[in-house]
Amino acid sequence: MQLSAPTPAPSLRARLRAAACVLLATGAPVMAHAESATPAWQFDATGLGYTEKARTSIFEPVARISRLFADGQSLSAEGTLDVMTGASPSGAQPTSQVVTTTSSSGNASTSTVNTVPTKPFHDFRKALELDWVLPIGLFTLSSGGHVSRERDYGSVGWHGQGSLDLDHHLSTVSLGGGVNHDEVFPMGGTPMGLEPVTAHRILTTGHDRKTVTDAMIGISRVLTRRWLFGLNGERVHEEGYLTEPYKILSVVSVLNTPDSLGVPLAGRERTENRPARRNRTDVLASSVYHLQDDVLYTTYRYYWDDWGVKSHTVDIKYRTDLPEHDWLQPHLRFYTQTPADFFTFGIRDGEPPPKYASSDFRLGPLHSVSLGLMYGCPVPKSPGEFTVRGEYMRQWGDGHPAGAIGAQQGVDLFPPLDTFTLVAGYSVQF
Amino acid sequence: MTVRPVVRLAAAALLLGALTTLPGCAAMSVKPWDRDLLSERKMSFNPLPMHMALDDHVYFSKEGSMGGQSVGGGGCGCN
Repeated sequence: MQLSAPTPAPSLRARLRAAACVLLATGAPVMAHAESATPAWQFDATGLGYTEKARTSIFEPVARISRLFADGQSLSAEGTLDVMTGASPSGAQPTSQVVTTTSSSGNASTSTVNTVPTKPFHDFRKALELDWVLPIGLFTLSSGGHVSRERDYGSVGWHGQGSLDLDHHLSTVSLGGGVNHDEVFPMGGTPMGLEPVTAHRILTTGHDRKTVTDAMIGISRVLTRRWLFGLNGERVHEEGYLTEPYKILSVVSVLNTPDSLGVPLAGRERTENRPARRNRTDVLASSVYHLQDDVLYTTYRYYWDDWGVKSHTVDIKYRTDLPEHDWLQPHLRFYTQTPADFFTFGIRDGEPPPKYASSDFRLGPLHSVSLGLMYGCPVPKSPGEFTVRGEYMRQWGDGHPAGAIGAQQGVDLFPPLDTFTLVAGYSVQF
Repeated sequence: MTVRPVVRLAAAALLLGALTTLPGCAAMSVKPWDRDLLSERKMSFNPLPMHMALDDHVYFSKEGSMGGQSVGGGGCGCN
């Protein structure tokens, strides 16, 4: 009689991992799959929850189904829903006094002392994207298109890319381009730029167009057995209605008294106005390095545009594999940008309004740091994988600019913003 | 297009050229039978494209710059 060794009890780590995966699996789509050596289909799903303290909340589920062919060809369809609700900064200036502001749609609201005035909103976006990948020898051609629609914005776009493998597949050169035809149709019509919001002067009541054309060139190179490096250059040209129709600008008092100087004047707000063209350029360097078992991902992007925004972005991820085929990936990201030439903390009463002006923080002197952690694990007895991650981002700017006057000097005009993101994903081939 | 972007793009193109040629000697040593690590799914610039797309969407909606990874996509009125 042959004695066999007793089956060891699962380790605590293994049991915890299995429990985590079962928990993550709850609520995920149940996929019927056949055991097959060559998967014919791939299903991917993610769900994003995003929140800002006392501001915007977003829920965004995305599902993608791909048909995989034996020759490497693939066809994919992706559907996205985007539910947005909460409040976003109106563009009006925070102040140490209670101020009633009027939005571009004519609604009045009262601000809280020393906080950024916000405007409530809700929207629902639906998007469909189709992609096709076709390998032909050393070439890989990919093409796709999307349709997207929300309450006041629509977009139709196409993109294509060709890649060529060179030098025994050690280098890949890529060339791509795309074009989006977007339409903006704000609720209540498109307001005229830099007009008093109380005047309700409407530029158009129909659809304002915005065209985005995009060209990219890139190369990736295997540098060593462990190191992959890439460099991309991209040029984007935007033309049409590029203004945020709901954003406004405060008009601050220049009356030289302690109670007036620098205080936003109630009911005097103006709509913002941006140029009708924007040329964006960026260069992205990417590195993927395989250490003994772990992988280090680093990217650096330099961006500049003809609105005066220049930015530096450093993104670092470190994936470490755990013993049971699960893995952890911490994430760190730094971002800094210069303001657009026409960014301003309000305009001064009595001075002629400039040609272009915006108080949108996203065009201001902005910095941010993101910290995140992702966990991935295989689904027990299945080829699928679950991922879950959390991200925290803090944004801040120069809230005490040199040009601030009077009451503006006593307020942080660009207070920090904390955001939290939670994403769960599921991917399986069958 | 002004002169400065042209100069920058030319510099980027030169860097691209250097990248394709200079590391050739090192890369030549990476024979097909040495590509076990490179063939792993995690050894790619974007092993989780849907996660990255969501990240890009968040950053695009909160910052003044965008792009770098791919062409096309988007279509959101959030910025």
